[in-house]
Amino acid sequence: MIRLSDIKRETRFVFGHRQFISTLLVILLLSTAALWSGHAEMQEHRATIERLLEKDRVEREAALAHQKNFGSAAYYTFHLTYAPPSPLAFAAIGERDVFPWKHRIRMLALEGQIYESDTDNPELAFLGRFDFAFVVSVLLPLFIILLLYDLKAKEREAKRFDLLNVTAPDNHAVWTTRVLVTLVPVVLATLVPFVIFAAINHASVGTVLAACGVVLGNVIVWTVIVLMIGAASRFATFSATHLASIMLGIWLLSTVVVPVVGHTVVNATVETPQGGDIVLTQREAVNSAWDKPVYDTWAPFVATHPQWADYTEYDPKRDSSFNWKWYYAFQQVGDQMAESLSRDYQHATRQKDELAGYIALLSPSLLTQRLLSDIADTNVDAMMGYENRVREFHASLRQFYYPLFFKTPEFSPARFEELPQFTPTIKTTSQEHTNEN
Amino acid sequence: MTNSVVKTICADQWRYWLRTKVATTVLLFGAILTLAALVVNAFHIHETTHAREHLQQEAEQRFLSQPDKHPHRMVHYGHYVFRTPTALSVIEPGVDTYTGNAIFLEGHRQNSAMFAEQRQSAGLTRFSSLTPSFLALVLAPLFIILIGYGSVSREREAGTLTLLLSQGATRQQLVFGKLIALTLASAALLLPLIIASMYVAFFSESAAVVALFCVGYVFYFLFWAALVTASSAIFSRSNVSFTVLIVVWMATCVLLPRLGSSVATNAVPSLGKLESDFKVEEKLRSLGDGHDVNDPAFKKLRSDLLAKYNVSSVDELPVNFRGIVAQYSEGRQAKVLNEFAENRMQEELDQAQIARQFGWLSPTVALRAFSTLLAGTSIETHHRFLREAEALRLEFVQGLNKIHAEKLDFKLDMNRNKSEEAADKAVVSASNWAILSSFQFEPESPSARINSATVYGFQLLLWLGLSFALLQLAVRRLHP
Repeated sequence: MIRLSDIKRETRFVFGHRQFISTLLVILLLSTAALWSGHAEMQEHRATIERLLEKDRVEREAALAHQKNFGSAAYYTFHLTYAPPSPLAFAAIGERDVFPWKHRIRMLALEGQIYESDTDNPELAFLGRFDFAFVVSVLLPLFIILLLYDLKAKEREAKRFDLLNVTAPDNHAVWTTRVLVTLVPVVLATLVPFVIFAAINHASVGTVLAACGVVLGNVIVWTVIVLMIGAASRFATFSATHLASIMLGIWLLSTVVVPVVGHTVVNATVETPQGGDIVLTQREAVNSAWDKPVYDTWAPFVATHPQWADYTEYDPKRDSSFNWKWYYAFQQVGDQMAESLSRDYQHATRQKDELAGYIALLSPSLLTQRLLSDIADTNVDAMMGYENRVREFHASLRQFYYPLFFKTPEFSPARFEELPQFTPTIKTTSQEHTNEN
Repeated sequence: MTNSVVKTICADQWRYWLRTKVATTVLLFGAILTLAALVVNAFHIHETTHAREHLQQEAEQRFLSQPDKHPHRMVHYGHYVFRTPTALSVIEPGVDTYTGNAIFLEGHRQNSAMFAEQRQSAGLTRFSSLTPSFLALVLAPLFIILIGYGSVSREREAGTLTLLLSQGATRQQLVFGKLIALTLASAALLLPLIIASMYVAFFSESAAVVALFCVGYVFYFLFWAALVTASSAIFSRSNVSFTVLIVVWMATCVLLPRLGSSVATNAVPSLGKLESDFKVEEKLRSLGDGHDVNDPAFKKLRSDLLAKYNVSSVDELPVNFRGIVAQYSEGRQAKVLNEFAENRMQEELDQAQIARQFGWLSPTVALRAFSTLLAGTSIETHHRFLREAEALRLEFVQGLNKIHAEKLDFKLDMNRNKSEEAADKAVVSASNWAILSSFQFEPESPSARINSATVYGFQLLLWLGLSFALLQLAVRRLHP
């Protein structure tokens, strides 16, 4: 039983140590700094999207203004696509710094465009992001080890250990209280700034609670690890620092060894096509079409678009001097040729991610990191989701333009009022929310 | 005499380590990890080099084997270049996995690099990676701490310190004996790395670069050995020394590099390619479309040309006016593209420089910069790749435009869309595609890399000096 008086006494005791207060301050500072930096970066992402949207509109209108046929209109107009950060992205930037979150695409073959990346500075990505997920998954366990490894040894050294055990009515309660009194402030120093930033970013209550749950779970797992090693009878003769070395060994296993071994194994087991092959195949298909009989383009095109089978005849008088519908048909065929490679590539990325999910079960640090980016919607799945949104949007552009190319209506700028607009999937980051929808 | 005392102290420390399990476990574990990292990475780099060289050859082959075509179609057919890894990237892969490694080169556009490997890692290697440099930079210091945090304080706690000093060992000898013992222990982690560096880079890399690269790591390991020994002598209790060292390690190896990266991101917000693309377009719109000879932007070009050849219409020109326009507008456009590309690279470089200033606060950041710059895996080398790719792009596109202007008849060219036969006539022979030069990426010259790495070598040296000054202080203050 833990009594209130125990808690009061232990609190006075724990907070009496300057070392503890300074550790707490450091945690508070790190957590706030990480959150602020993530917040600033995500604000910058949002601002960038705002600016891009405006420029994209102006640029498209300017491009459309002096077009005389639908073919060249499609050729010269770009469309901005983007994945806005979720409200919680500031806490776990996740894959946003290696996967692209903005693309401009046009009616040409998509496989030639979609691998373009406008990601951030690679040297900074390589040094690593200092975000909240990093503080929680990598640094927090180290702080827990530092705060708890000499819990009992300190008392032994101060010659109070036996006294404490003898005088306390329940000697378990003394240690439990001390651990609680140490860790509750640590958790608060981590989570209070997080909750404040989450409120600023209008994150939904459900996601914030889920993220807090993950942080709490991580703290509990590491506390149990540390306490179990401290209490294990086989280590009874070890000095406190020897015990701490073992705890650091576990940390090392969790944050370094499991991930890197996992990475090596995953890479060796999942067959990934060379990215270069996709783009080479696509380009070859698109460019060789010029030199081939037109039938070679129409056959595979009509196979996937039977509705245009009767419209492939080319009449130079009716069409412009250049045959745009054939041009876009071989762009489409280029994508079709690279389709299986591209699907394999995406499949490999997903499969690797799935395997990584299993590997994460062996490592609390990795699991924390992954869960936080799942909640913040910055995981591989979200980034692939964006890629697929771009694919869908590109398909809708084709749907819009094909009737204009094949049925050859009179050119009229008014038609462009129906031009498809890219809309990102806005997730409120709340799982329940998406389910309701 | 003095040497033998140091030797005895060193040997004694080793006997202690061999007796206790922690030190030997740590060393064995560290050595296995380092070897595994070396082997895995060496295979990976070997495979990558091979694959990319193959892709490069294939791309060139495909370009050259194109049939007779209209030259402008080859401009759009384009070309691919692949970046092959440098020799030392086995040890220090640097930004290589974060940057794309293939670029599509075509007329009128500057494309970005594609296929960054990091995307395929599913977040497993975001904090750690099985690369020799990560192990040496981040984990080796932790291992050195675990082995050495109590080397002097243990003697004090066991009461043997007084004994040693009263038996004639000086404080200097005692502390240096411990330092040498710890340095030798850390060599178990360092030596495989040094041998591997020499092995992978001996034939393909300048000796000065490899030597400096190794010296950087030696300095770094010495820094930690000296710091840990000093701490074990300064603090009278082992557990205080331990806690302090772990905190220093967290700050130096884990926290500061990332803090530097985040500070740089927020201090110099970079426009990104997409956003500067808009600015490029804005500027280009005023320059005219190179596909359209009637664009008013080319009026002056036309009248100048007519005057030069003293003819009254473009039909009479001895050159193909469309080719001239293509050449002219591509050149002007490339100037604008490069101006913005240079700006963007400068921004990235500024960001990297800010992050690297954290080398004054953390030797880990200093060595990171030093070793990536020397290995040719820094942002600078990536930029060099981008610049060389752009030079190649402009070279073959302008080469094709020149062929367009000189070898293709203007009338045939203008009539190319009239009929299929007309299109078949408006071509040039495939032998012209030989203007494409082959691409082999090489990092900056050794002296250029050494030059840019110097300041970070100086940072490292400063840290080493500091740690030895601390060690001297520890010797002076050492009382039993």
